Amino acid sequence: MLGDATNWDEDAYRESLYKEREVQTRTVFRTAWAPSLSGCPESIVVASSDGSIASYSIASCISKLHSGYGNTKSLLAAEPHCFLQGHDGPAYDVKFFDAGDNTLLLSCGDDGHIRGWRWNECTDIEVPIYLQGSHIEPVMDLMNLQYKGPWGALSPIPENNAIATNTQSGSIFSAAGDSCAYCWDLESGKIKMVFKGHSDYLHCIVARNTVNQIITGSEDGTARIWDCKTGKCIQLIDPAKDNKKQKGNFSCVRCIALDASESWLACADGRSFSVWNLPASDFISRTLTRSSMQDMVFCDNQILGVGAEPLLTRFDIHGSILSEIQCAPQSAFSVAVHPSGVAAVGGYGGLVDVISQFGSHLCTFFCQYR
Amino acid sequence: MEEFRKAILQTAPPENFALQTVQDVIKPQKLTKLAQDENQLLENILRRLLQELVSSAAQSAEPIMQYGMSIDDNETAQGHIPRLLDIVLYLCEKEHVEGGMIFQLLEDLTEMSTLRNCKDIFGYIESKQDILGKQELFARGKLVMLRTCNQLLRRLSKASDVVFCGRILMFLAHFFPLSERSAVNIKGVFNTSNETKYEKEPPDGFSIDFNFYKTFWSLQEYFCNPASLTLASTKWQKFTSSLAVVLNTFDAQPLSDEEGDANMLEEESATFSIKYLTSSKLMGLELKDPSFRRHVLVQCLILFDYLKAPGKNEKDVPSETMREEIKSCEERVKKLLEVTPPRGKEFLQKIEHILERENNWVWWKRDGCPPFEKQPIEKKTTHDATKKRRPRWRLGNKELSQLWKWADQNPNALTDPQRVRTPAISEYWKPLAEDMDESAGIEAEYHHKSNRVYCWKGLRFSARQDLEGFSRFTDHGIEGVVPLELLPPDVRSKYQAKPNERSKRAKKEETKGAVRQAEENQMATPASENDGEGTRSDPDGPSVAMDADTTVAAGSVSQGGTPTPEENKQSSDTDIGQEAGQLEADAEVEPGMIDGEIDAEVDLDTAG
Repeated sequence: MLGDATNWDEDAYRESLYKEREVQTRTVFRTAWAPSLSGCPESIVVASSDGSIASYSIASCISKLHSGYGNTKSLLAAEPHCFLQGHDGPAYDVKFFDAGDNTLLLSCGDDGHIRGWRWNECTDIEVPIYLQGSHIEPVMDLMNLQYKGPWGALSPIPENNAIATNTQSGSIFSAAGDSCAYCWDLESGKIKMVFKGHSDYLHCIVARNTVNQIITGSEDGTARIWDCKTGKCIQLIDPAKDNKKQKGNFSCVRCIALDASESWLACADGRSFSVWNLPASDFISRTLTRSSMQDMVFCDNQILGVGAEPLLTRFDIHGSILSEIQCAPQSAFSVAVHPSGVAAVGGYGGLVDVISQFGSHLCTFFCQYR
Repeated sequence: MEEFRKAILQTAPPENFALQTVQDVIKPQKLTKLAQDENQLLENILRRLLQELVSSAAQSAEPIMQYGMSIDDNETAQGHIPRLLDIVLYLCEKEHVEGGMIFQLLEDLTEMSTLRNCKDIFGYIESKQDILGKQELFARGKLVMLRTCNQLLRRLSKASDVVFCGRILMFLAHFFPLSERSAVNIKGVFNTSNETKYEKEPPDGFSIDFNFYKTFWSLQEYFCNPASLTLASTKWQKFTSSLAVVLNTFDAQPLSDEEGDANMLEEESATFSIKYLTSSKLMGLELKDPSFRRHVLVQCLILFDYLKAPGKNEKDVPSETMREEIKSCEERVKKLLEVTPPRGKEFLQKIEHILERENNWVWWKRDGCPPFEKQPIEKKTTHDATKKRRPRWRLGNKELSQLWKWADQNPNALTDPQRVRTPAISEYWKPLAEDMDESAGIEAEYHHKSNRVYCWKGLRFSARQDLEGFSRFTDHGIEGVVPLELLPPDVRSKYQAKPNERSKRAKKEETKGAVRQAEENQMATPASENDGEGTRSDPDGPSVAMDADTTVAAGSVSQGGTPTPEENKQSSDTDIGQEAGQLEADAEVEPGMIDGEIDAEVDLDTAG
């Protein structure tokens, strides 16, 4: 039998190798805390590189962690509570569109789609987990436009790298790969506004809803503040301006974060991040980091940042490090903070590390499903 | 009793009338000191008087220590009860009455009084502390005093009467010597009932990391009973892993100076709590509280300190790996303390200092709580004089020490030409040789051969210097040993034997000797052995022959009797016999045998 190559299925073998590699390199690109009534972190939604959107219940993770493995360091392979095969190719962002009872779970991905699911349909499912995936139809499916070239040639569909929402106006903002940001109307599913100006694809987008603005960060190394009414760029933030002149190195704006009052902006480019005060349009501080920041979030008056190292770093507004907490993913792509102070760090290896407000590890799990 | 009642009313100092009053009442046998039953009688009277005073004070609703204080008098006037106490104290101090009486009265008084009055009474006690603490009084009353204070402490509320409690404790601390061990936890027993309770079930929802909460508070269990850690290694592992989690968390959330300052202000106004608040809702706040953090870290240090201290028995000593772990943990904890504001470094220094002192107390306890107080050496001068006259001898007494030091003090004694040495036999035997000259006509009594000590010594010398001459002893007795050249020619021929003849005879003698020795051995083996050893070892011993005399004397004494020439003869005989026997055995009798001694034994067996 051994060495008999008559039935050798080259394709199947190749497939299995790809699969294996994919599983190993699976990456969590975004985590988001599901809204909960009790104010406690109940479940977390994870968008990962296989295009899946899955929600995990923290309580069951903790209970499994302690009944099954005790306090050992072995990772928990968590079973999702709800599993959606959201996108072809990686899913890059996931957001909740909070509309009272009708909360939508929005996701975007490499396939240029923005899809929306009813969150209560996701939570109230009775379908066994192994049958889940495409069991719920998205209530909304928006797709980026393709460009028409000469002779009707179509460009590839530009991917969506990030989304932001404005609940009041019912808009979704997307940061797309064609260096434009789009404003979608949720009701009609039409593009309301196109924000053109960046010279390279967009990494991130945040909505500053109090003043009806959005802020985008792009591969071209700048961040721009746009007015949503006019679609004009109000301000160009070039955090790497000095850097570029001196060293000639070019770095993208990887992530931007806005605090709750929407007056402070943190903006990471390459191996540094800068803090701006928006009302005063004032540059506050610039901090060099050991690794490049890949996600940041404001937590009260502090900034939580993760990057290409297994650390969750807490900065104050001036950029000095308050604490560094070891976390599981070797490179973290996402940090999400629940109002209670619990933070979730997701990243390389399909790992999600949930860190309590005390800085202790609440649970660490591994999205191994499928 | 009436007399005392009157006496209290006197305003004069007690030394003027107190003794007089006692004498009047009791009419004692001795004038100044009461006998036991008289003491008892007096004590009963006084206690009754005190009781009446207190009850009348209570009826008049006055503070009892002020009862009877005359209002119109000057301000120094005292109440009746302090007056009574003063008198008794005076009597006790002067040893007119038994010293415990005042303590007895004070105990009665505190027991009869309300707490408010007790405060006054205690004030009185404090004011008389110097007198009460005098050696004679203290010895009589310390137990009563301790009981009184403890009773008082028991009656007081720990929460609301802290100042009074503190006063009592301070008094006890001053009153008792520092090394008083009655309050010491001699065995180092831990108060395991001091349990820190915490929530076992997570609250609804899990807004906090409940596992961490449990891990955190479970540490208290170990802090409460550190001894449990040394017993089971699983517990230790659990402890270290839990501690690591907690320290990681502390590490992850360094506290800023502002938080420390904010807390300082808070702390000054806040009331001090002796137990942790363990509500899960407080966990987040507590973790941000520098003083809370300090408490926990200091607990760690105390625990490590306990674990590091060598145990009472060998088993308690922590293992090597455990010690390493303790060390690394301790360093981590110290680092954390250092960075915990406000003024972490200074705080750590203080804590280290305190722990060091604590260690000293542990050692003190381990040494059996030796007293610290050194009684003043009053008779210093007289003692010194006698002490100086009696220096300490290193080896028991002066003689031995001098002997011991003799060699050190006389380094060239060996090379001294004048030193005493073993005399040459040619010199030594001269007197005997002269005596042997018949022409001299020495009477037997004065003949040197009848001088046992002289002969014994001579034989010893000959055995070492002139073996041939010594061997003639068997044939000719002591006179044969004398070197021939010393003898006058006529006598000489008598002892001279032809060599070949001699050797033959020697052979014969030897076989005979062996047999005889065997017989002898059968009869008294140990004795002969002793003898042999004695003779053999002695000549080797004092090569510095200055004390040859003494050793010889000692040797003869140790042999358990006066060595007659006969005995000498025998012992030396056996010696020779044995030696010769060895040679013989090798030569002819039993060629297979190697060891002479075994030989002799075999001989012996066969002969037996």
